Amino acid sequence: MLRVTCALCALLVGNAAAAETFKWASSTDPQTMDPHAVNSAPVLGFLNNVYEGLVRRGKDMAIEGALAESWEPIGSEGWRFNLRKGVTFHDGSEFTAEDVMFSYQRASSEAADTASWFAPVSSVSIIDDYTIDFITSAPNPIFPDSIANFMIMDKGWAEANGAELPAKDAENHATLNTNGTGAFQLVERQPGLTTVLEPFDGWWGEVEHNITRAEFTPIQNPATAVAALLSGDVDMIDPVPIQDKARVDQRDGVKVFGGIEARVIMLGFPHAADALKHGSNAGDPNPFKDVRVRKAVAHAINVDAILATIMRGAAEPASQLVSPAMRGYSSDLAARPAFDVEGAKALLAEAGYADGFSFGLKCPNDRYLNDESVCQAVVGMLAQIGVTAQLDAMPVQNYWPELRADNYDMYLLGWSPGTFDAEHPIRFLAHTPDAEKKLGSWNFGDFSNARVDELLPMIQSEIDDAKRQAMLDESAKILQDEMAYVPLYVQPLVWGAQDNIELTQRPDNFFILRWVTVN
Amino acid sequence: MTQFWNSDFMWSFRHAPVAIVSFCVVALLVFCAVFAPLIAPFDPFDPSTLNLMNGFSKPMEPNAFTGDSFWLGTDDQGRDVFSTILYGMRISLFVGFAAVLFAMVLGISLGLIAGYVGGWTETIIMRTADVQLTFPSILVAMLIFGIAKGFTPVELRDQMAIWVLIIAIGLSDWVQFARVVRGAALVEKNKEYVQAAQLIGRSSFAIMLRHILPNVLSPVLVIATISLALAIIAEATLSFLGVGAPPTQPSLGTLIRIGQGFLFSGEWWILFFPAVTLLTLALSVNLLGDWLRDAMNPRLK
Repeated sequence: MLRVTCALCALLVGNAAAAETFKWASSTDPQTMDPHAVNSAPVLGFLNNVYEGLVRRGKDMAIEGALAESWEPIGSEGWRFNLRKGVTFHDGSEFTAEDVMFSYQRASSEAADTASWFAPVSSVSIIDDYTIDFITSAPNPIFPDSIANFMIMDKGWAEANGAELPAKDAENHATLNTNGTGAFQLVERQPGLTTVLEPFDGWWGEVEHNITRAEFTPIQNPATAVAALLSGDVDMIDPVPIQDKARVDQRDGVKVFGGIEARVIMLGFPHAADALKHGSNAGDPNPFKDVRVRKAVAHAINVDAILATIMRGAAEPASQLVSPAMRGYSSDLAARPAFDVEGAKALLAEAGYADGFSFGLKCPNDRYLNDESVCQAVVGMLAQIGVTAQLDAMPVQNYWPELRADNYDMYLLGWSPGTFDAEHPIRFLAHTPDAEKKLGSWNFGDFSNARVDELLPMIQSEIDDAKRQAMLDESAKILQDEMAYVPLYVQPLVWGAQDNIELTQRPDNFFILRWVTVN
Repeated sequence: MTQFWNSDFMWSFRHAPVAIVSFCVVALLVFCAVFAPLIAPFDPFDPSTLNLMNGFSKPMEPNAFTGDSFWLGTDDQGRDVFSTILYGMRISLFVGFAAVLFAMVLGISLGLIAGYVGGWTETIIMRTADVQLTFPSILVAMLIFGIAKGFTPVELRDQMAIWVLIIAIGLSDWVQFARVVRGAALVEKNKEYVQAAQLIGRSSFAIMLRHILPNVLSPVLVIATISLALAIIAEATLSFLGVGAPPTQPSLGTLIRIGQGFLFSGEWWILFFPAVTLLTLALSVNLLGDWLRDAMNPRLK
């Protein structure tokens, strides 16, 4: 009897292997299936398997052609994209310049979260069915680089289903359904439970993977995810909790993929709010408007202790909004504010808060590695300087709406520059929020500095590297002096997979299914 | 006092070693929980006393960075596990006692009314109880907790969580009390002393409270003890699932949930000690309840 059962098991396992179903899990469920609704890595990373841009990033992060076969500058005013012919969407309709135009209008509309990608664009014009021009208001050498995540949606499909505009925190047809040109198509979407992809037979590219079906499950609890990997329930998990990295590495049958992610974890402040919103001082004037208080916070935080214990030595301290590996990093400004409790207390006293104050700290609990633990540690460190933080940790699904509603006194944010360039966080996090110019869209705290605003367009259009770097340095210096954010550390990247899985780990933490092989 | 010591009840207690041991364990744990602020070497919930560098200290071993030593080790934030257990047990016991008390008051009142009044009132109360019994109590508690969470403002959620937990567990547990009390009340209401009380014109309320209630209390006491163990476990389950006591006021279940994240990485003590404490507490209360049931069962004598 036992033998029969075993034979049955073997048969089942054998069948499963032949079907090449690939299962993977991550701590965060992509919030939406709409590529223009939420500009966050879990969403864009996931949808890169389903939708495609004009250009895309290769295994080494270099830009290569996707829906555009080639592109060239038109003088200094813009870029011409020559589109690939014979590409079809998953529903069979043909891909043309009309779809690019439609996607541009959709992704740059006010309802989109991706509008700031198109801040430098002044107009777009269709030349013919397979040629489209993006005209920029100033010379923009990195424009093709900056739209690698601008994904093209089918015009006819979106219009037929009433999804002409993205729905950021609400829902429409495109939130749960897709029609892209990517190597995989969505077959099932149950938010928070499971999302199933299958290869698209009509894909234009050369197939490298051998997957016939891919199932994604969000597993919020890191220990559960590790257990699922070790027991073989899933083929790959992202992330492996740092505390479990060594143990997973030692186990037979599974392996760990590690690297330094481009993501800087930082604390953000409300720069424009007049009053505190949480804690026992709710309603009192906002102390974080005073740069001395923001500096006191920076000096009170012992980043080395966080890295040594919570991050187990696997992360690097950060001093700027980008990590040292990014283009345009200011190497002269590499020093973090020193850990100095007495100095922090003195700064608080100088600002008139010798007795401290109480406020509310918002924090995600399923977005970044050990995010809630880091926030708890921050609460403890601020308590040492007499400042009481009331921690409210929540899943990202609730977190971004809270930040958009300005319902915080301090928050935790991680930023990975999609362009791998120091200009990117200035555009999103440091420039004064400006819906019309599509700038500062993730600058929740409304930080505003006239010189930074003035520098940004100059940085964007500067072709000389030395001059560009000097302006990036100047802007990084202002952000440090003003303590616009308190950068904490650069997050490590740790994935785990079964030994029979081959994959490519990109530093932007995007998991690209078409590079996966199941052996 | 001597009379009590020589009573049947105490005689049975003195001759049940399991009862004596579990009583002592429960008494010790309750004592530790009540006087936690005096016994605990640290106040784990005053963030200003924490030193993150003490994080992940092993039990009885000095920390590699700071040299501080902790009896049962520390968690990821450098909190002393022993102190968190004492404070956590406080929450667990408080929620357990309060939930049972709530369930008891609710169950006894409804059971008495159902048994004494009868008719439609009885049908409605007891059928509601039957319907509720078909759902697992943890599911009912989660449902109530979820609904209550929707109504409480975010600001007050952490402070309210404990009270919501008490109501949720209490509401999921009243049925047992109501059934037993109704049964006993049905028997008692036809006895002569009740008829006598009715004849001299005492009100129904007074008869239920002063005449019937004292005579149905002993089975209630047994159920209450066993319910206490169940309530403590229910609270731990809810907190473990992340819908119970918040991390700012961790109960044993919350501590186990936190510790679970470090199980694979070898920091076993963060999970192990709270889990053992919960096991000891629930087991002792349960054993005590078992003995109580036997001691009060006239058929076993």
